[in-house]
Amino acid sequence: MAETAKEISKPLPEITPVNQPFWDGARAGKLMMQKCADCGTWVFCPRPVCGDCSSATLNWLQLSGKGKIFSFTVIREVVGHALRGFAPDIPYVTAWIDLDEGPRFCSNIIGCPVDKVKIDMDVQVVFEDGGNGVTLPKFKPR
Amino acid sequence: MSITRKTAVVGIGETPTDRLGGKPGEPRKSTAEYLAWAARLAMEDAGLTKKDFDGQGLAAIYTTNHSQPFWPEEVAAILGITPAVSLAGGNGGASSVSLLGHAAAAITAGLCDLVLVIAAAAPFSEHGGHRGATADTRDYEMPFGVMGPNCKISFVMSRYMHESGMTEEHFGKIAVTGRYHASLNPNAYLRKPITIEDYKKSRLISDPIRLLDCVLPANGGKAYIMTSAERAKSMRKPPVYLLGWGECNNASVGPRYRANPLITGITQAGKRAFEMSGVSHKDIRCLNLYDDYIPIVMIQIEDLGFCGRNDKGFFEKTDFTFKGDLPIQTSGGMINCGQPSTTGGMLHVIETVRQIRGEAGARQVPNIKFGISTGVGAVNYGKNFGCTAAAILGNEA
Repeated sequence: MAETAKEISKPLPEITPVNQPFWDGARAGKLMMQKCADCGTWVFCPRPVCGDCSSATLNWLQLSGKGKIFSFTVIREVVGHALRGFAPDIPYVTAWIDLDEGPRFCSNIIGCPVDKVKIDMDVQVVFEDGGNGVTLPKFKPR
Repeated sequence: MSITRKTAVVGIGETPTDRLGGKPGEPRKSTAEYLAWAARLAMEDAGLTKKDFDGQGLAAIYTTNHSQPFWPEEVAAILGITPAVSLAGGNGGASSVSLLGHAAAAITAGLCDLVLVIAAAAPFSEHGGHRGATADTRDYEMPFGVMGPNCKISFVMSRYMHESGMTEEHFGKIAVTGRYHASLNPNAYLRKPITIEDYKKSRLISDPIRLLDCVLPANGGKAYIMTSAERAKSMRKPPVYLLGWGECNNASVGPRYRANPLITGITQAGKRAFEMSGVSHKDIRCLNLYDDYIPIVMIQIEDLGFCGRNDKGFFEKTDFTFKGDLPIQTSGGMINCGQPSTTGGMLHVIETVRQIRGEAGARQVPNIKFGISTGVGAVNYGKNFGCTAAAILGNEA
């Protein structure tokens, strides 16, 4: 039986002991990231040890969710079988967002026409249901 | 102990690239066939046979659909040789250039005096296989609809345009130059010349990346053979010596959680290669730069110090064709010759060797003594390449 676009699921993260606080936080409406207790650097994506000083003491902290668009693209085509669930959303924006506290985060810009998205635009996190109990932090202009 | 001027490339082999198996009913070839074919071509070029490689070095590059941990041994089994020194290329697209240095080190240290460096892939013919995404990509890119490298390099290109003011004219010029060279290269896959208008009209895939910015996936195999500078003198073809080499992995300009993606590890790898070689920029007559995407070629020209950062004027005034001021991508690059997974990058080693030997036919750079080849691999979360390498080759030891 042919599958319809509606039936095709999008890929979801694999929740692991290392990244679970991030995804638990998102479900509770909080953007959480790790900061090294020893050298003070932010660590993202989630890691068991600090990528700078190798400390295993990393604290989870809540971020403001405010940031600026560092760069972005408008997705015009599906590339790869695993991502065909995004076909109905095209065109949509993926962006690198530089969060006010420091880390760079990759997400979608929503609530804004694709041709109005600009580099350096101020954005704010919003939380969107991704299905299967996963909440995805996305961003809208502020 | 330095590896400069101690070794040379003495054999090159390149199968035709194709896209067989992309359509139903088309004939297919396996990775093993491309490996055997590329090895035979390189050995013929060097005047060697398989027997010469027993008890010598074999360097096999992992490709995206053959990344099982015993791959170098499987390659030896496919080729029917029994190596005494086994090297592996685990730097993705940078591997071919990385292995120039690793093979030279093994030879200079006396572990062996021949190394066969080889890679092949048949992504169109062999469906499936392992193409595992990293955890970062699986958990923090794919759920947001990031469409692989096209999308990730479009972040880099978009920011590059924002900071430098480069436009479609600048990118188009590089695309047109590459295709012009491909039109003069009988081994290229896309050979019909294009204009800047063709570039501008090519379809947007992931703004600002257009179809004509993108590399061309393909099936194929490539190989090269290195030996000591001493033994190279008595080989069939003129030796092309390794003069300078550098590698840099996990580069980060700025904090690791927010790195500048417009400056890559090629900056450091290139600096090491220039320092080791003692060759100056003005004497380099051919740049064969890893070209998964057009803007990456331009960023590497900046990284290597051939111009300043965001130097629009330089890109406007320079003639990059084979007879011009600074010839680049003289083979046409992977964008036009095809990219059989991580095998693709070997094109840039093979082309520099051809140019220095004087075997480049209609696209031969006049009076060339020195050339540079680069490789890059792995596009990391929120930044640019994880793996980078650069090598300077020349006709004198």
